[in-house]
Formats: sequence, structure tokens, C-alpha cells
Amino acid sequence: MYSNKKECVAMLLAGGQGTRLYSLTAHVAKPAVSFGGKYRIIDFPLSNCINSNIDTIGVLTQYQPFELNEYIGNGQPWDLDRLNGGVFVLPPYMKSAKSDWYKGTANAIYQNIDFIDKFSPEYVLVLSGDHIYKMDYSDMLDFHKSKGADCTIAVINVSLEEASRFGIMNTKPDGSVYEFEEKPKKPKSTNASMGIYIFNWQVLRKYLIDDEANPDSHNDFGKDVIPAMLNGGRKLYAYRFDGYWKDVGTIKSLWEANMDLIDRNSGLNIEDASWKIYARNAAEPPHFVGDHADIINSLVTEGCEIDGTIRNSVISSRVEIRRGAVVEDSNIMPGAVVKEGAKVYYAIVGDGAVIEEGAIVGEAQDNVPVEEVKITVVGPGAVVKKGTVVPVAAMVD
Amino acid sequence: MNNEMMSIIFASDNETKLNELTIHRTTASLPFCGRYRFIDFTLSNLVNSNITTIGIVTRNNYSSLMDHIRMGRDWDLNRKNSGIAVFPPYASNTSRTMFKGKIEALYGILDYIEKATEDYVVLTNSNIATNLDFEDVYKKHIAAGADITMLTYSSHSTSSRRVLVDTDKSGKVVGTRITSTLSEDIAEVGLNIYLLKKDLLISLITDSYERGYTDFEKHIIQQNVAKLGIYAYHVDGYAAIIDDVKSYYTESMRILDTDIRNDLFYRCGKIFTKVKDSVPTKYGAGASVRNSLIADGCEINGRVENSILFRGVVVEEGAYISNSIVMENGRIMKYSELRYTITDKDVTVTEDKTISGSENYPVVIVKNKTV
Repeated sequence: MYSNKKECVAMLLAGGQGTRLYSLTAHVAKPAVSFGGKYRIIDFPLSNCINSNIDTIGVLTQYQPFELNEYIGNGQPWDLDRLNGGVFVLPPYMKSAKSDWYKGTANAIYQNIDFIDKFSPEYVLVLSGDHIYKMDYSDMLDFHKSKGADCTIAVINVSLEEASRFGIMNTKPDGSVYEFEEKPKKPKSTNASMGIYIFNWQVLRKYLIDDEANPDSHNDFGKDVIPAMLNGGRKLYAYRFDGYWKDVGTIKSLWEANMDLIDRNSGLNIEDASWKIYARNAAEPPHFVGDHADIINSLVTEGCEIDGTIRNSVISSRVEIRRGAVVEDSNIMPGAVVKEGAKVYYAIVGDGAVIEEGAIVGEAQDNVPVEEVKITVVGPGAVVKKGTVVPVAAMVD
Repeated sequence: MNNEMMSIIFASDNETKLNELTIHRTTASLPFCGRYRFIDFTLSNLVNSNITTIGIVTRNNYSSLMDHIRMGRDWDLNRKNSGIAVFPPYASNTSRTMFKGKIEALYGILDYIEKATEDYVVLTNSNIATNLDFEDVYKKHIAAGADITMLTYSSHSTSSRRVLVDTDKSGKVVGTRITSTLSEDIAEVGLNIYLLKKDLLISLITDSYERGYTDFEKHIIQQNVAKLGIYAYHVDGYAAIIDDVKSYYTESMRILDTDIRNDLFYRCGKIFTKVKDSVPTKYGAGASVRNSLIADGCEINGRVENSILFRGVVVEEGAYISNSIVMENGRIMKYSELRYTITDKDVTVTEDKTISGSENYPVVIVKNKTV
């Protein structure tokens, strides 16, 4: 008999506005922001899913969804164009009773209960669309099953100072969670939630319905659903993840994650052929390096024309770095142009931005500790006029 | 004018002269320009011109071609209607022997051609690098009232077989010469790409086959110059026929010229190829690269000048590559030097080796070899 049934359905929260990325997300949703030369942020969770044998994914969008929708398309680049399952873009929609935007992370899943029910899954994996990491969700699912858990939350060990910026899971020695604290002033442990959850679907389904009925709820997983499950005596476990993981919700962290691609020791090894990160391909020829180019410790992507100096930078597809231009410690996004003699230091230059002749963006901070480095941003499509100086930490739209 | 045209691609032509480079593959699947196979140019030109019914006639060693094309998805050719059909060598329904030339090959697939709904056929070899708009060819064909349009470019004859074309002022072909004599004189040279009405093709092929003719250029084009309206369509941008190691090397190096490269990759549309999900290329502390074309997935820690690196090439520290072509997954180890060398896929050059050819006679290292 034909059946739609899937053991595990992934729900990817991609609706965040990403206000802390400023002009980089003025026209695209955060998961659609360019990363690492030829990727978008969402390529990481999507590739993780398919590499973990999860082939049914709902992508919950609401903020600036067009580019993200177009990018995902039929899911073919991630091998997600399936007869049964595949990738589904799920914006909020009109319903007979009442219609609403996604009010919170839990509400976004609540509004798609029918979608999930269609596949009668035992488990639902909830993911964020703004993290850079490689993770085998099937290992986490095995852990979830072996513990007989109702909910498993992936956690990563952070420093005690950082802990107060995260949701912290306080656990017993067996890994079961007895307390959840959202951004605690005095953290009791350093198990930070990665925003990755596996739920038994029937349990979650009930809690989502209860949560929706509660007028005081924020309809948020961290603030409402997880605490309610703890209070309800449900079995919650923390699943410790030891690999590379980065929330790229800020300019600085997005810049750092790009720099981590260059550093062999960062743990973010995207060359690993057994865990490929897939992306929609731009059909560009190989990059061309001219007679005046000088490139060291950098990544350069297809379709580029390079005739300038590049140090410690990630150069995305179709970028032009012209003769006499200097790019150091920066991330240049697809299609941007750095013209003759222009200089770019410690910056993110958005898609299609143009740095005209002799302009200077940011400043070198080679002796500044990395925590104190300040990143200058040129927004997508922005033009820095000939000879202009863009001061350090400025944002050009 | 959607879907007025279909196409037949001949995947094998003149292979013998490409020697080591076509031991394991057809000309169509010969790697070119860092990340492409020859057939990518033809397939992309067809798709960009809305031609989506495409038959590929193979002759031998076609498994690498099948592996490259798969279902045609990378060219948007995995269609419900139309799409790619690959004909293996023994498709001929009348004889069980290998076909001898294009006429016999086409005769063997007349059923396929007849069944297609399109009225016009583009015949093309697959050892051609150019960026074409077949819709423009079609418009000119109709405007001239041509029976056959043959595509030509300005070049000179070589020691490989070339068709030299004489036209009158209107572009009508008044004579052709088939030659294998090297000459420096610039002439209009046939690209081995033809457009004609399907019905005409079927009658020409049937008639020629029944008469025992085998040579398309001689028996169908040359013999019919006076009888049919054969017109030349001059390809104005970059175009090249690759049929020996010398032309392969020379045309590869010409692509380092930015104007020529832009012409080949962007003139009428983009060139698509099989997607391999390689990572961006990593330049290490010892990298020094000049005037070179570098595909994704490379790791460069040595010197590279006037060269082409395909996907996944590793250049270790102290290695020096100049005027060379290193195909996919090549590994040039520490302190080795390559000059005027073509290394095929998966070649490893171990430490401290020097391999040196000359501009006229580049050295070819065959696939999978360790030096």
C-alpha cells in the first residue's frame, strides 16, 4: 500500500528578520544570506538533513521570502526533489477560523500541524536557519530513541561568560534536563541550547495546542514550550554536540564564521567529501587570476576575476578584484566589485556592492585581539564612491 | 518559435588524433576549460536556444559520456516531453556492424528523427567550443530560403580534415574544398554544424545510404552545392574545432585571454556542466598565481603561471606549474615542476620531478598515472 509515512520530519525556522545583520538582511531573509563564497546559510541545515537521511523538510518563511523561495526551488541541489517528501516552503496562509503571521517559533510549527500530520511521523526535528555547523541528526535521533525521551535538545559547551547569552540546560549526570534557564545572569552550567530539538510528534502536538490556547504565551520554544514540558514532567534530554557550531546572527559572528573557513584548525571542515555542503550552482566558469594578482590564505570561488592583492579573505562567486586593489581579512559576497586601487579591511561587502577606485573601507586591525575587532559593512548593492573613506565599524547601505 | 528545431550530436569524431586524451573517453567528454566537457558547450548552446529534443550518437568509450550527462538535469534536459536520448553504437536496425560515418549513423536513427515533432534538425559535432544562438541561425536560414545552412568561422586549414567554404555575396555556398593540408591562409572553414529541414535530411540520408555513400561532407554537402540552396552562417565570436593535442593545448591557452573567455562563456548564454558541489579554492601561505584559470576545489600552495587547473587540483608548496593544464584531482607534489604539460584526470606527480614539453609538443600524462 502506498504510504506517505516518514519516521522524522524536519521543520526549519527561516522566518527571522535578522535585524542584527542590518543591511545584509534588508531585502533577504537571514537564511538566504551569502556565506563562504558559494553558499547561503540555509545550505548548512538543508545539507545536514539530506546527509542524515532526512528527506522531508518544511521551511517556515515569512520575512522577505522571495529570494529564499527562489533559492530553494524544487530542492534539487540538495537532492530534495522527491516524489514522496522533499522540501516544502511554508509561509503563513489563510485558514477558515483565523489567520495570522507566525507569532513565534512554536506558533509557526502549530500553524503547520496539518502539514506534519500528512506524513504521520514519530519524530519532528526543529531547526534554525541561521547556524553554521555540520551535524548528523540521525545520531541525535538514535540518542533520543535510546533515552526514551519526549524531547531532546542539542547543546554545545560554551564558556561561562558566554553562557548568559544563551538558553542554558541544567542536566543530571544521565543527561536528563531538570531545569532550563533563558539567558541566566548567573549560569549554573555551560550547556547552551543550539536551537535544535527532536520531539515525539504526538507529545509536541499536544503541547503546541495547549500553548496556543494560553493567551499569556509568547508561543516560543525556549520561553514557553520547553518550560511547559519540564513542568509537565516530560522526559527531556540534552544531546551534547562537540563539533563546530556558530550562530551567525550578528555581523561579527558572520564575519568570524567566514574566517573560520580559511583556518584549518577551526573545525569547520567543508572539504570533507563524506559530508558535502550542497548549494544551488551559479554556472560560472573557473575564476581567473591576472598578472598583478597576489592571493594568500584565502578562498576564491568560480566566476571571479582577480587582479589585486588578497589576504585572509573569502571571495565569493563572480567577484571582481581589480588591479591595485587590496582586500584583507574580509568577506566579499557574490558579484561585488572592488575597483582599481580601492582598499577593504576587516569588512563584509554585500552582494553586488561596488567599491569604486581608490575608496577605503574599514581599517587594518592586525594587532587588535579578535574579540575587539570591529567589522565595517557595505550593504548589498551599495556603491562606495571613488576616493571615499568608510570609517571602521560603519555601515553603508 | 519554440521547439521548431531538434538536434543530433555526434559524440565521436577524429578521435584518433587526440591520442592519449581519448583513450578512456569520447571527444564529447574530453575535459576543457577547467570544469567543462566538450559536449557542455554544444548542449548549453542548444538549451539556450530552446532546443530540447537532443539525440546523441556515440561510437565507442561512451560510458564517461553517460556518466557526465546522466539524465541531462544539469542542462535542464530532464523533461517529460523531449530531453536527451543517447544512442549507443549498435543502434542501427539494419546492420549489426559499427556505423562508418554520419550518414550510416543517421540512417540508423531515422525512426527517432521521424517521430520527433520538430520540423528542423541541427546536426553538430561535439569537438567544437563556441557560444551560439541557434534561433538566430534559424531566422537567417528562413530569411535566405536556404535548404541547408552550414556554420562557418574564419580560420585556416590544418593537418586535420577541414571543409573550406566559398560563398557568393548573399552567403550562398558556391563551392567547398575538403582538405587536410596545413595552410596559414585565413578562409571560411566549416564548423561541422548544419541546420536543415527534417524531411530534407531524411530524404538525403535515405538516398545516400542506398547509394552506399558514407561521407556527409563529401556526398551530401559537396555534391549538392549546385543542386541545393546551401548557405553559410558566419560565427563572429570565438569558435574552435579541437581535433588533436596541439589544437587542444592552443585553444585552452587562448581561453586565458579575458575577451575570448567572456565571449565563450557569456556571448549568447551561459555554459552549464555537471554540478559537483566543490568547495571554493583555497590559497595557502605559499601560493603565487598569475595569469591562470582556476576551478573550484583546488588547494594551492605553490606557483602557478599561464596555466589551467581543473577542479580538485592540489599544488603543494614549492611546486611550480607553468604553461600547463592539470585536469581534475591532479596532485603536484612538493618541488615538482610542470612546463608545457597536460596531465589527465587523477594524475599524481611525486616530489622533485620535472616534466617539460614544448609549446608545439606539450607532454601528455595519461589518466590515473603516478609520475
